[in-house]
Amino acid sequence: MCGINGIVAYHTASSEPEEAELLATRDAMRARGPDGSGAWWSPDRHCALGHRRLSIIDLSDRASQPMTSEDGRFVVVFNGEIYNYPQLRTELETDGARFRTTSDTEVLLHLYARHGAEMVHRLRGMFAFAIWDQAQHCLFLARDPYGIKPLYTANDGWTFRFASQVKALLAGGHLSRDPEPAGVVGFHLFGSVPEPFTLYRDIRSLPAGHTQFVNAAGPREPKSFSNLAELLAKGAANAVPVAEISERVRAAVLDSIRAHSLADVEVGIFLSAGVDSGALLGCMRDAGQRGVRAITLAFEEFRGTSEDEAPLAARVSDHYGAHHIVRRLSQQEFVQDLPAILDAMDQPSIDGVNTWFVSKAAKEAGLKVVISGLGGDELLGGYPSFADVPRWRRRFGALAVVPGLGLFARTLIGRVAPAFSHARPKALGLLEHSGTWAGAYLLRRGLFLPNELPKVMDPEIAREGMRRLRPLRSLGASLKPDPGSDLARVCVLESVHYMRNQLLRDADWAGMAHSLEIRVPLVDFTLLGKLASSIPAITKGAGKAALAAAPMMPLPNEVVTRAKSGFAVPTGAWINSVVGNASSSIGHKPESKGIVSRRWSQAVLNGGPLTKRPLEVHAS
Amino acid sequence: MKPSPAMLALVTDAYRGRGGIAQYNRDFFEALAEAGLLSITVLPRQAPDSSGMPEPVEQLQARPGRIAYSVAALRTALFRIVDVVFCGHLFMAPLAALIARLKGAKLIIQAHGIEAWPRPSRIQRMATERADLVLCVSRYTRAAVLSWAAIAPDRVLVVPNTVREVFTPADGSAQRVALGVEGKRVLLTVGRMDSRERYKGHDRVIAAIPDLVAKGHDICYMVVGEGDDRARLEALVRNAGVSDRVRFLGDVGLQSLIEIYRAADLFVMPSTGEGFGVAFLEAMASGTPALGLATAGAKDALADGELGTSTSEAELSVAISRLLHQAKPDSFDLARAVRARFGREKFVAMADQVLNRLTERDSDNPNAVFGESLISHADRP
Repeated sequence: MCGINGIVAYHTASSEPEEAELLATRDAMRARGPDGSGAWWSPDRHCALGHRRLSIIDLSDRASQPMTSEDGRFVVVFNGEIYNYPQLRTELETDGARFRTTSDTEVLLHLYARHGAEMVHRLRGMFAFAIWDQAQHCLFLARDPYGIKPLYTANDGWTFRFASQVKALLAGGHLSRDPEPAGVVGFHLFGSVPEPFTLYRDIRSLPAGHTQFVNAAGPREPKSFSNLAELLAKGAANAVPVAEISERVRAAVLDSIRAHSLADVEVGIFLSAGVDSGALLGCMRDAGQRGVRAITLAFEEFRGTSEDEAPLAARVSDHYGAHHIVRRLSQQEFVQDLPAILDAMDQPSIDGVNTWFVSKAAKEAGLKVVISGLGGDELLGGYPSFADVPRWRRRFGALAVVPGLGLFARTLIGRVAPAFSHARPKALGLLEHSGTWAGAYLLRRGLFLPNELPKVMDPEIAREGMRRLRPLRSLGASLKPDPGSDLARVCVLESVHYMRNQLLRDADWAGMAHSLEIRVPLVDFTLLGKLASSIPAITKGAGKAALAAAPMMPLPNEVVTRAKSGFAVPTGAWINSVVGNASSSIGHKPESKGIVSRRWSQAVLNGGPLTKRPLEVHAS
Repeated sequence: MKPSPAMLALVTDAYRGRGGIAQYNRDFFEALAEAGLLSITVLPRQAPDSSGMPEPVEQLQARPGRIAYSVAALRTALFRIVDVVFCGHLFMAPLAALIARLKGAKLIIQAHGIEAWPRPSRIQRMATERADLVLCVSRYTRAAVLSWAAIAPDRVLVVPNTVREVFTPADGSAQRVALGVEGKRVLLTVGRMDSRERYKGHDRVIAAIPDLVAKGHDICYMVVGEGDDRARLEALVRNAGVSDRVRFLGDVGLQSLIEIYRAADLFVMPSTGEGFGVAFLEAMASGTPALGLATAGAKDALADGELGTSTSEAELSVAISRLLHQAKPDSFDLARAVRARFGREKFVAMADQVLNRLTERDSDNPNAVFGESLISHADRP
């Protein structure tokens, strides 16, 4: 886990990159890699690569980056982990490759030299990397299938730049902050900025599961090398009987935990009182790890109440012989950290606050790597959306395809019952959006709905943003080919949109701000491949039940039972106390969680009540 | 193996046309021909005659009227093989997109300067978004196109103007004698004087002359070019009391232009509206240093200050004075540096890349396709 960046002056008319820019971008990512830094220049000085290192595998200086191949032809900068690198290394050595380090980074150099772009199909892990080929004067970039690791790019027509963070690219000083309407609109629709867009027109994300080439003829359009929907569609075609699900989940999760435990430093775990992290801790034990340090975030104001997760988490920790660390968070600390949170947030997000504090606790405990249960809900149908989206499609879908009916109903109800339309804006969207899976999902996850945008931002930006973003088209495209079952469809939508653009981004910026690598064994393409044929048969609750039973010592029943009703977190109320008086037109009481999120989104976009430089997109 | 496609080019003017766009079109077609394009059929809106074309280029009769032009374009497309449609001006983009669609051809849209900066009509924007490649003469124009077009940024390339090989350095003293400017510090601007545009910056240079004279520079400002704004500028010169220091030379022939470039001490064009500003390149290729504003496409022609000098409007007089005080750079070194970035050889290589990019989109392995087209920067001075 590191920070990478680079500048390629690819155009014949372009000037050499400035060293000051390379270092400014690199060192804006100091928190991502506090253990070391490096820079590399091509002989003609038209390509420069930078790296900040968080040492996790092969802690020696030999494994520093940028790393050059033995013959000097290839140079790599890499952020992430390749979990199957021991197997790959063995294969490569059999093929005659000679290794100078024990790092996974060197594997990338040998693989690229042998397989070129096809190398990505051999990698298991989370990764974003760039390889410069000195012989071909060509840059190759790749990002993992789920998009766990970020990679942002900018092309001004002469020079191509990339970095692990948007703010780091801006720190280089050569890119404008002109807003990208699609990014701004996307944030309002989803609460996070949907790739490939960012908040800035000059900067884009290399989409997850894509590669990109850059040479003298410029950057090519990114190419996809993986497709979640396709994997699940294949699984649906070979669906397994319900009776086999538990065993398949057990084997796949244990395999993933083994792979994700690879490190030359201690690996801890974020432990809540839920099924996902508890089951992973149990599997860590099955994989032979003892005395794992488990970090639980708890809240002062819930101490001693039934909402306090700490006692149940302690029970799970004891169950698996872990070393439990409970970190209590108060409202005072939350308010105190808020400026640092907003500063660390690479792109605006309405979430990530809890991840910030639990990462802070892990850092305080001296951990560099932790396992997280992130992704369990997307994989095994844990969200209400898995019930809601198919239900809305069934109940309202037929009506929603009648042209104009939804608009008519929304307008009518808005006139005769304005209070209802303010308090329940999404309810009015049912007849408008439930006609397609994409529409129903937008309705479920949407922060604001498209028709509300002109009220909360400059209408011109709203219009232009919708045109450029085309959210329904983009959501619909992720379902091609059809994943084959209701659960698989929602699994894809949640994984490719909410998890990718929000949860994984939050885990990255919040973890990296504390120099902490967050590993996500339930977000793993190999795991998904193994479970694809089981997913169509998973019924409500069955997926989580299978996960709870995955460890040799299954999770205690009380965890499974309690997890169903969920736990509250007070951060919503704290957020409301910070931004509660800040807004006006967005919603009226009674205030649901969604309304508070809307208000928070406005504060985040403008840098919060602590703003210095608001992005000027809102209607006055 | 690279295909040799046939191209239909819809342009305002090319052969026998005047001005930067016509010159760019000619340079581009010839570079494409050199890069392997089998045939280029050029349909201009305006052209006095159609002589002086290289072998694979055929320029059809000009059609000034919009309807006649559209009919001619459709008819030409109907009876000829068209693999690529080149659209030389944004206002023709809808017609070009229609023909490309009818013929199943690739579409290239060229964007130059001010015509592409503001948001165009909806139909022009939609046509641009359908293009396989949009070529822009500068980074500024590219950024402007991307501000209004929802198109993948990697399909929008910068193919800058090139400088013709006739512009070379040489001793300009004979021309200085002929112009009667021996011993003077000669400033030069080359550009059209258009009353609708007025962005070239003649006004700014004229306004700076009294200050420069007060600083001890024996200035002579030569203005090459014509246009309907000339009378206003002449009046401005009279009102500023600098009539004896400004010479309006009008349009001059190519050979005279080359010699005037060589005779000048400083080419100065504080323009705010350059799509690129090829005159900067012509001056520097002739060995004369160039000064412009750090605005729009001029930044590219001046290579962010590495070839020429860019300044702000407020600092113009100070910058001119400073450059006049400095020793003139070695004219051959300057010319070489200009060609290393914008020379014909580089331009032909870019045309080759454009052709490759068109065929590459269907390919599985772009890097393999492009392995032979890579340009090394090693031959830079």
